[in-house]
Amino acid sequence: MKTGWMLFVGLAIFYAILAVIYWQVGGEAVGITAISLSAGLSIIVGFYLWFTNRRLGNLLPEDNVQGEIADSAGELGFFSPHSWWPLPLAFCMILAGLGLLIGWWLTLIAVGGLLISVLGFVLEYEKPSASTH
Amino acid sequence: MTTYAQRPVISSSASAPAPTSKGRLLVKWLTSTDHKTIGYLYLITSFAWFLIAGLLALLLRGELARPGMQFLSNEQYNQIFTMHGTIMLLMFATPLFVGFANVIMPLQIGAADVAFPRLNMLSYWLYLFGGTMAFIGFITPGGAASFGWTAYAPLSRVEYSPGIGADLWLVGLAIGGLGTILGGVNFVTTILTMRAPGMTMFRMSIFSWNVLLTSILVLIAFPPLAAAFLALESDRLFGSHIFDPANGGAMLWQHLFWFFGHPEVYILALPFFGIATEILPVFSRKPIFGYKGLIAATIAIAALSVAVWAHHMYASGQVLLPFFSFMTFLIGVPTGVKFFNWIGTMWRGSVTFETPMLFVLGFLVTFLFGGITGIILASPPLDFAVSASYFVVAHFHYVLFGTVVFAMFAGFYFWWPKMTGKMLNETLGKIHFWTLFFGFHITFLIQHWLGIKGFPRRYADYLASDGFTFMNMVSTVGSGLLALSMIPFAINIWITRSTPSVTTDDPWGYGSSLEWATSCPPPRHNFKSMPRIRSERPAFDLHYPHMAAKADH
Amino acid sequence: MRQAHFKFISTLPAATFLLTSCSGGEVSGLGFEEGVSSVNDQALSLWQGAWIAAAVVGVFTLILILWPVFFHRKKDENFPKQTQYNIPVEIAYTVIPFIIVAVLFYFTAQRESRILKISPDNQVSHFIDVVGFQWSWQFKYKDAGDYKSATVTGTPAQPPTLYLPLGENVRFTLTANDVVHGFWIPAFMIQMQNLPGVTNQLEFSATKLGTFPGRCNILCGRNHSQMLFNVKVVTPAEYESYIQSLVAEEKAVIS
Repeated sequence: MKTGWMLFVGLAIFYAILAVIYWQVGGEAVGITAISLSAGLSIIVGFYLWFTNRRLGNLLPEDNVQGEIADSAGELGFFSPHSWWPLPLAFCMILAGLGLLIGWWLTLIAVGGLLISVLGFVLEYEKPSASTH
Repeated sequence: MTTYAQRPVISSSASAPAPTSKGRLLVKWLTSTDHKTIGYLYLITSFAWFLIAGLLALLLRGELARPGMQFLSNEQYNQIFTMHGTIMLLMFATPLFVGFANVIMPLQIGAADVAFPRLNMLSYWLYLFGGTMAFIGFITPGGAASFGWTAYAPLSRVEYSPGIGADLWLVGLAIGGLGTILGGVNFVTTILTMRAPGMTMFRMSIFSWNVLLTSILVLIAFPPLAAAFLALESDRLFGSHIFDPANGGAMLWQHLFWFFGHPEVYILALPFFGIATEILPVFSRKPIFGYKGLIAATIAIAALSVAVWAHHMYASGQVLLPFFSFMTFLIGVPTGVKFFNWIGTMWRGSVTFETPMLFVLGFLVTFLFGGITGIILASPPLDFAVSASYFVVAHFHYVLFGTVVFAMFAGFYFWWPKMTGKMLNETLGKIHFWTLFFGFHITFLIQHWLGIKGFPRRYADYLASDGFTFMNMVSTVGSGLLALSMIPFAINIWITRSTPSVTTDDPWGYGSSLEWATSCPPPRHNFKSMPRIRSERPAFDLHYPHMAAKADH
Repeated sequence: MRQAHFKFISTLPAATFLLTSCSGGEVSGLGFEEGVSSVNDQALSLWQGAWIAAAVVGVFTLILILWPVFFHRKKDENFPKQTQYNIPVEIAYTVIPFIIVAVLFYFTAQRESRILKISPDNQVSHFIDVVGFQWSWQFKYKDAGDYKSATVTGTPAQPPTLYLPLGENVRFTLTANDVVHGFWIPAFMIQMQNLPGVTNQLEFSATKLGTFPGRCNILCGRNHSQMLFNVKVVTPAEYESYIQSLVAEEKAVIS
């Protein structure tokens, strides 16, 4: 975890300094903005990793130089075994893009499809709240 | 004392029967959430695009062999090199990285899959559909986009490029770019959160480190690209004036594009450096030399790569030359350092030259020359002499082909048994390598001289009096040999379908990283059991416990 | 050993490339000539020096790459020493490349500031506007005065000729009417973009008589490959009489 946040925070600091240097030596708006935004991106990720690391406190198995495979025994998480939803979701996104070029009717259809696909994708593994298993 | 512990089987799909009919196989692939299957889809699709773009290149070289337009019109020529560049960079090389990263990285870090398996598949579809959309331009009345893969404004605005092929290109690539961004998110998350116990960041394989840093560059570089494309599309469709030359649109485009464009070439290079770094220790029977220094160099490259973009714009007369040339020279240092890491790995090793190693050598020799011409181009006074000429075409083919294509084939031959359970034939592999090596160098070496002599890039034609004919002819002959070199590879893939399967985890014998501690091919969630991880060479430590280094990192 | 033999052959292309440029006693211009323009005066020695440095570094590294290929092959089943790092060597191969690029950067910065220097107007004898358009060039000789005929416009079929006075500093103002073009004179080792909505300035003098090809260097559409021009370097007297001949008729009509 520590290496993770240090990498991103380090990059963020580097980009921030670079943005200032570029600005001061007479750089232009695009570069200053883009480098600053890169710093912003890095600090978002870096900050999240830093405070997660602080919150977790204990050493995670993967960061433990003496880590044993058995330390992460048990359920690792849920992995979707297979899914139809990525295909229609991507397809509707392409249709929406095509609709820009072909006509608004296509975009409308695509947006409809997108709504369905996004909901289908996101809710695919949700269980009804009042059920018992 | 056991060296490995049982990892419980997480899902029951390991015992699911293999699909019987072609229909079921198709459904299995269409609905897959397995990073290995998705990776194979990426590898197959990107290789298909490679062949298509290669055919386009043959058309270009055929046209350029002699002065005068032989069989293409100016406009067709412009469409062909535009799509050749677009496909090679955005539909072949970038997705190829995603493919290798998908197949190999989770195995190397001991994960059961990537963090977001369905998002992974979504990324693949976005890539396939987006790329196809850009390519479809060829069958529209106005033809495909013809303004170069760099799409400079105002040439790419609607008044100078009215065809719908340009719009298909911009929208298709923006959507494909979204797929790449989502892939970057997936890889960063996977590497940061799903490593196996004991797999600390500084025990992770160099390939996986490079996947992490490449993914960070993807997150930084692709959004400006998508923004630029969508802004240009807005100019084209809605009449906005974002890239109107009166508003400084010409320079605005160049800055936005190259802010993406430079990190993009590192996105293309770093994963393939990683592949070479995986192969060298195995065939030298020594660990990678200077592991930590190599990671430091790669981080330096990732950091600096957002500081150098305007070295593609020296000739614009509108950028800070000292700043960018300083940064560009600087970024050459860590790149050069890597060379010595690679040499140091082979040094005083026990080296053998099976096909993967041959291709890595081809990469080293080719990239060395390409990197050197890069240092020449890093200097604005020298760039003024040869920018936008065939010298630059030669340079970038040396670095890109040298890295991506040579390392791709090295990776294919190396990981073929891991992916398919079969070994590719060695003799055919050597024939493949030598024909590719000579074909490549005959095609591109002479282009340096062509550029110095004053032949601009993206020219469809030249005069007989220009004195470019002989050099172009040589280059065209080379391209024919290069094309033919694909045949031994195709034959190799075909004949090894029926060869005996590999029975060990590590057919090469000296694999270091974790993928060589599971079967060929791996089970659905990668590991039925996993060895203890105490160094950056867990599989090597498992197979040669008497050689295992003391765990001090 | 056959592998080793082939590997050696593969170094020959690189060697040949370097050797073909060695003609004559002194260091060859490696594709460019001395004394053609004020730009060459600055850039050529840097070009030669950079290539010499590149050749040294390249050959050295190539030898290092090929050395294990020939001399560190597998002899037996023993493992070689499992060296993982060597700090002094690592420091050396970081610092030395840094020094090399620092030297290159120093000369780069020096030469580029000289090449791109724009002198005060009163120190420049000639002013020429270069306008790129789809798909040819327009050269406006400001020295001839404010006449329409002081502008020479070319077509793809008839590339225009840019006349330059020998040895005299010319200020070029570059722009474009439509898309981005590139003003490139290969023999003079110089190019700069013609950007619509932007004026670029460039100053140099041609120092050798003769005719040199010029080309558009930024993709500008269908007839990009036909957007050529010629650069004709003549004596100052001939230059003067050329631009006077351009405007003679118009001058006569007006006066």
